[in-house]
Amino acid sequence: MDTLENLIPEDSGSAPALEPVAMVALDAGRMLMEAGANATSIDELVAKFARGLGADRVDLRIGYASLAITIGIHENGITRMREVGHLGVNQRVDQELRHLANRVSQQEFSTEQARAELTRIAAKTPRHSTWVMGIAVGLACAAFGRLLKVDWLGTGPVFLAAMIGQLVRRELLTRQVNVFICATLVSLLSSAIGGLGAHWAGSMEIKTAMIASILLLVPGVPSVNAQSDILDGHPTLGSARAVTVAVILIFVAVGLWLGQVLLVKAFGI
Amino acid sequence: MDPNHPFYFLLNPDQAAHSLFYILHQTLCGALAAAGFGVLFNIGFRSLPWCAASGALALAVRTYCQGLGWNLEASSFAAALTVGAAVQVLRARTDISQNALDVVGCIPMVPGSFAAKAILALFALTSTATGDASDTLITAVQYTLRVTFTIGAIGTGLAIPTLLLRVRVTR
Repeated sequence: MDTLENLIPEDSGSAPALEPVAMVALDAGRMLMEAGANATSIDELVAKFARGLGADRVDLRIGYASLAITIGIHENGITRMREVGHLGVNQRVDQELRHLANRVSQQEFSTEQARAELTRIAAKTPRHSTWVMGIAVGLACAAFGRLLKVDWLGTGPVFLAAMIGQLVRRELLTRQVNVFICATLVSLLSSAIGGLGAHWAGSMEIKTAMIASILLLVPGVPSVNAQSDILDGHPTLGSARAVTVAVILIFVAVGLWLGQVLLVKAFGI
Repeated sequence: MDPNHPFYFLLNPDQAAHSLFYILHQTLCGALAAAGFGVLFNIGFRSLPWCAASGALALAVRTYCQGLGWNLEASSFAAALTVGAAVQVLRARTDISQNALDVVGCIPMVPGSFAAKAILALFALTSTATGDASDTLITAVQYTLRVTFTIGAIGTGLAIPTLLLRVRVTR
């Protein structure tokens, strides 16, 4: 029987070091996952990074809260795991990572250069300003309101309620408030403002206006990703996403219910 | 207001459901909602017209299909399939990830209001008098099924073009 020493090949020193390659590829995958990508995109991006940095073999396991990679160069192999943070949506980071992955796959970067680029993307990728986001979300929810047949009198209050909800949500998330609690608080606030505003404006669709005001909280990207992940052969990740979507919806509905109770008890609406 | 008045649909969308103006109204709202969510997802200003076009296409197709008498689920499936195919065809021209464009376009079709109504109906079930409980339960189940089937239809419609046309990375 072979001794343990014989089973572990010696590092010749000519191949790139495994550890940095694995960690850079994992970091790229983690950033893409946190930016809202589905499993297949993460799989492809991590493979591009690892192969572009010299790996011969790449195997990735994608969990909801962690990524694990096994890479091989010649006879050597290594397995590493990386925790994944809060899953949001950030398309500019997504876009930058894909561009970088294409360049890395052309072997234009060393491992250190790729790591520096990832750090730059994480730190320097711009976001829309708070007010631009607030106005955009207000307009989106007002449009949603029209799609749900809210009358014109109720559309203005929906815009205002959703805009305020988005501003508050951003502030709460900046203060590291739990996303589920944040969903309930924003849902309560937006539905109350939307309902009250619609009532004062003379709208006949107060309940629909309240619902339209909270549609900024509906987790559309995770719900679509959940299904695409299951269809792409990642049922564990897809199921985890689906459960998270369901729980967020429950917390949003609790906020809406509280908003309705508040309007009935305090204003008799 | 006269039903033949060109702006009748703006005040009475129900009664002008099959008119061209109604489709235009739904299309514009879809475009606005998709572009708004595009900003929320931090898509750059230069790419926002693609988001708006994606949302407009989705709502135009869904509204047209509903006008033909299709139900919400079937119409959403047709719309998602169309958006998925269009994004596949245009993917080289847009500087935005295909997944993002797919999702942003279909966001206006995600039945968030049905989901909220379904959960509220379930809440109401716990405090409803026995005589009304069966009605409330049926309402909750109906909304839940509509949410499930509609999200399923959207996801499947988006996935089919991608699964058919995507080239997998060779390992």
